[in-house]
Amino acid sequence: MSELAGNRAQKAARLTLGLLLLGLALAVIAMLSLATGARAIPLENVWTALVAFDPNATEHRIIWDLRMPRTVVGLMVGAALGLAGAVLQGATRNPLADPSILGIHAGAALAVVLGVAVLGMTQLSTYAWMAFAGAGAAMLVVYSVASLGREGATPVKLALAGAAITAVLHSIINAILLTSPRTLDEIRFWQVGSLSGRSMDIALQVAPFLAVGMILALGTARLLDGLSMGDDVARALGQRIGLSRGMAGLAAVILAGASTAAAGPIAFVGLTVPHVARAITGPGYRWILPYSMLLAPILLLGADVLGRVIAPPGEVQVGIVTAFLGAPFFIALVRRRKLAAL
Amino acid sequence: MLRSTMVAFALFAGATLPAAAQWSFVGGDGEVVTLDETPVRIIVSQDAAAGLIPLGIRPVGIYADSAVADAKALQGLDLSGIEIIGQAWGEVDIEKAAALDPDLIVAEFWPLETTWSGGADVVTALSPLAPITGPEQGASILTLIEDYEELAQSLGADLSAPAIAADKASFETALTDFKAAVAAKPDLTALAVWAGTDALYVAATQGSSELMDFASWGLDLIDPEVADDRGYWETLSWENADKYQPDLILVDNRSATTMETALAQPTWTLMKAAEAGQVTDWPAFWLRNYAAYASELEKLTAAINAADANLAP
Amino acid sequence: MSAVFDTSRIIAVRQSAAMRRRSVLLGLILALLAAFALALYLGDYPVPVSGIIQSLLSPLTGLADRSVDFIVLQVRLPRAILAVLSGASFALAGIIFQTLLRNPLASPDIIGIAHGASAAAVFCIIILGWSGLAVSFGAFGGAVLTALAIYFLAWRNGVTAFRVVLIGIGMAAMLAAVISYLFTRARLNEVQQAMAWLVGSLNAARPGDSIVLAGAMLVLIPLMIGLVRALDAMELGDDTARALGAPVELTRLGLMLVAVGFAAFATAAVGPVGFVAFVSGPLARSLLKGAGRGFAQAALVGALVMLVSDLLAQHLLPTVQLPVGVVTGACGALFLLWLLMASGRSGRVN
Repeated sequence: MSELAGNRAQKAARLTLGLLLLGLALAVIAMLSLATGARAIPLENVWTALVAFDPNATEHRIIWDLRMPRTVVGLMVGAALGLAGAVLQGATRNPLADPSILGIHAGAALAVVLGVAVLGMTQLSTYAWMAFAGAGAAMLVVYSVASLGREGATPVKLALAGAAITAVLHSIINAILLTSPRTLDEIRFWQVGSLSGRSMDIALQVAPFLAVGMILALGTARLLDGLSMGDDVARALGQRIGLSRGMAGLAAVILAGASTAAAGPIAFVGLTVPHVARAITGPGYRWILPYSMLLAPILLLGADVLGRVIAPPGEVQVGIVTAFLGAPFFIALVRRRKLAAL
Repeated sequence: MLRSTMVAFALFAGATLPAAAQWSFVGGDGEVVTLDETPVRIIVSQDAAAGLIPLGIRPVGIYADSAVADAKALQGLDLSGIEIIGQAWGEVDIEKAAALDPDLIVAEFWPLETTWSGGADVVTALSPLAPITGPEQGASILTLIEDYEELAQSLGADLSAPAIAADKASFETALTDFKAAVAAKPDLTALAVWAGTDALYVAATQGSSELMDFASWGLDLIDPEVADDRGYWETLSWENADKYQPDLILVDNRSATTMETALAQPTWTLMKAAEAGQVTDWPAFWLRNYAAYASELEKLTAAINAADANLAP
Repeated sequence: MSAVFDTSRIIAVRQSAAMRRRSVLLGLILALLAAFALALYLGDYPVPVSGIIQSLLSPLTGLADRSVDFIVLQVRLPRAILAVLSGASFALAGIIFQTLLRNPLASPDIIGIAHGASAAAVFCIIILGWSGLAVSFGAFGGAVLTALAIYFLAWRNGVTAFRVVLIGIGMAAMLAAVISYLFTRARLNEVQQAMAWLVGSLNAARPGDSIVLAGAMLVLIPLMIGLVRALDAMELGDDTARALGAPVELTRLGLMLVAVGFAAFATAAVGPVGFVAFVSGPLARSLLKGAGRGFAQAALVGALVMLVSDLLAQHLLPTVQLPVGVVTGACGALFLLWLLMASGRSGRVN
């Protein structure tokens, strides 16, 4: 008995240490993100810019106007994506659940397309709100469609409803893009998923939503553990299945919606990171959630830093780098071990 | 370059037959299209519509690759009574086109893709109905307009009609003013750009007909150093927005969004010209007639006259 | 319960299942014929029914009106035939994957095979500057290569459905990123061209286009039937089948290759028209209510979805003609939603 408790305490200590190390790694990557870019700026100038900002120095302006906001947005969006993915996978008990599969990205994309094509929106800061609203609306529709019928929103029905709604939304998006090259021209840069050109305003606008979403998500850990035992067991333990799924879904849609608003649809982070987290921590959302929350921004910011330096004098968007880093890693992971069934 | 010939046939000496007029035109693809009679019912692509309608040719149908309301080239043209048979890329309503019973299809020949406006699918769909011809896109918008004049004339347009002649005259005045303005500021350099949230795209002169025109009329356009994407653009991270320092910036005006996007970037003003407001429109890729060219040139001339030519070292 | 009673019940159930299969098949065939007739009749160029019949018979009778013949024989007929063939091919590709991997999400348009075709085609259009038939070849190669890559990456002492689906989705995400990247690196009119290809269209259908696809189907369908017979043994479970001596892995690989063939040839002909592969299998099975595997029914559903979608795409909006791929998504998805809503009564989806 005491040996078991000892093991558990040992495991908790080990995982806490892991979290601290991840936090440290994240800090290092964030510094790297301030120091690297398509323009070479010597480290000492980066430092001077941080401690003694001179508005007339070009290099200082680049650090504060470009790199600082994109680093902050990257940290927030990364954490949000990681959490959203973990929560969605837990709530739907589907290892493939991801904002892009449950219609969230398609909803955001359609709203942005409508904003550009019909309402004549032209700036990121305005259509970010469209993305947020669209993501929420799509998730709501997917969830209500899946809840129809006797057994409620089962994982299979959620996945099918998500795929179906995504297809409908893409039909409308395609119809608009094919007849409006002006919109296509705007959207092709948004839909890649990118951190560049994001101002501090955007970070400040989405910050409150992300904060609420994160608190909500971290609070669902116990509910997700219950759901992971299967609906029947969870019900027998006195858990209200519908309410738990609803809570988790709300947290996920706030996080995914806000991050899509800030950075566009970045597909792969939410899908892969929870699997990596689970491989480190083992089952139990009390640990999976914080690990996902730290691992995802490491992946996202690291990918962004890489994207800034591999194609000078231009850049490669972060959504593309994450896919190219994430996919082979994910495939290797799938090959190496039997991923824990959810 | 392009020659059209209206050959009066007098092969039949017999007085009973009137002289049959044969019509032919050498297209931008080098092929000669010959018809027994001058074509009357013509289907045109959106760019050919912008070239021909101001010269008095009324087509029966237009195919566009976007919603007609969005097509910059067609803005301000009277399209009443003309059937729109396509508003999406690659999609043209063959049945509507067939019902129009066309004698000829006019499009622009794209030398790089070796196909006509609208792409291979549209050409496949339309070519069973009537022969396709038209001018070739090339090194100059001016010669393109002149090719349209030649084509319009062969189709029976009267280029000396007052409205048409006035358009041409206003273009010539605008051109003279432009050349004078450029000559007055020999040190002035210009840069043509497209702005996106992810990067600043600097255009190579060789990639667009109107930029080649401006250069041939004396404007000193900065050519990007490394042109990626097969020679048309250099993609600059916004961190490197000050790589070139022109005295005047031309911003793609196909959509108003581009200018707004540029202004929203904090490092846009790293270019001294942007800081000083020496920014004007670049009528990118869409000019097809004298009236539009004249008004765009006037804007450009005004911007050059107002610009400080010694901003950049 | 006596053995006699059991047997007679089984026979009764079997008979009613066979009845159900036949009536669903018949109903779908009738619906398809009706849609086909409608596809020949509807259009902006007015042709009376008598004109259509005369035109269809003109190769025999020699009577011909040149412009009506053009509309009926060169425009409407090839388009309708291509819709039927490609719809059936997509559906068969979908239902084979869904059956083999026992997951309704495992259709080729979700596990990356359609993405492979798309990425290859977009590369051909934007980087190589190709168009027309050459793009189709590129897409075909892309689909086959991606499918092989997924299969071999998923191979580890055999292939599990779960691994194939996960690896397929990983590949899909990577290939989608390739497409997005190429989109941001191209000129707008190249992007438009690629976008139009990606949506999938029957607009440029010519009489010859169906011949390649029809030829491929003539080879693939008998292969499929043969392999499905072997699959029947597999339905008992891999271990039993292995004990019976059935070469399980080989049958699986063979069937998957047949499915990839269906998807690749159809994609080469009309582009990666979305959702037909995904939706046809589940729809056919919900019509059958458990009476059989429903391959033939799924093929008919696919053909029907494609044909009806194309009619809607052409005639729904008075001024704008849209490519078929815009509508199959919406059309198929509405079916699926109806299915999900109805599942409260029937109990289960798929």
